[in-house]
Amino acid sequence: MASHQLIDAYLDELSRRLPADAVDELADGLHETWRHHLDQGLTSAEAAVAAIAEFGTPTQVNDAFVTHATGRRAARLLLATGPIVGVCWGTSLIAAHAWTWSIPATAASLYATALLSVVACLIAAATSRHDYRRTRLGHIGAAGLVALDAVMLAAVVLAAPILVWPMVIAIPVSLVRMGLTLRHAQRLVGA
Amino acid sequence: MKADGQQLKGHLDVLLLAALEDGPRHGYAVKEALRDGSGGRFDLPTGTVYPALHRLETAGLIAGSWSIVDGRRRRTYRLTAAGRRRLHADRDAWRDFAAAISAIVERKPWPATS
Repeated sequence: MASHQLIDAYLDELSRRLPADAVDELADGLHETWRHHLDQGLTSAEAAVAAIAEFGTPTQVNDAFVTHATGRRAARLLLATGPIVGVCWGTSLIAAHAWTWSIPATAASLYATALLSVVACLIAAATSRHDYRRTRLGHIGAAGLVALDAVMLAAVVLAAPILVWPMVIAIPVSLVRMGLTLRHAQRLVGA
Repeated sequence: MKADGQQLKGHLDVLLLAALEDGPRHGYAVKEALRDGSGGRFDLPTGTVYPALHRLETAGLIAGSWSIVDGRRRRTYRLTAAGRRRLHADRDAWRDFAAAISAIVERKPWPATS
């Protein structure tokens, strides 16, 4: 398979930043572009320079992948809607006097720590501008949020002595968030 | 006059979907279709087209499949049924939008709708 050292160096740089599948796809497109310029009568080196110029700098390509990364987008959406879910559950827990429930303090602390960790993951992914790997934290954060929603629902079913009216909003809101997040994850697996 | 990525922001999805309407294409061919179809105006950095295709694939609007061509892995994309529906909807919305802009900017009469 013919190539040029400039193209190889360009792809090497991208392979340090992007997933292997993305780099394979870029390599195919870059070779097509290079061949196109060779057919136009350019030398191998000129064709490589022209192909790379047409593709954009590695930073430009990397940043475009970061901008479109599904983990970053999911993190931004979850952070934007998170406060709504938080207010629903905060109101519910206060109305239900959650501090009187028979839940060990350790379990409550673990839940709070996990929630903070998930939010930290989502913020890291949502604010990433140049680091593609960091956007993947969005998927971890999304999975964590589904687990935390499930734990909260289980706690209400198992530990809440009575249901209070704000839960009528909080429970469906959590279920919708879980459903949408899992559907998004299913698409990612299928893509 | 060339349009850059910023100017195409908000329109890139429908352009990519339209580029795949006639049949499956790989990333570079999609970029070429955009450039040729626009008379050279939409000449985006090729490398920035691929992440947008990935996003459309994750959204279920296009589907990709790998093949081996000249010893290299090639990913080819095709429109899904959902992508075709989105393209038709976006095309109708674009026609309305363009007609409204033209009516004001070029002082053309508002087109009659059936």
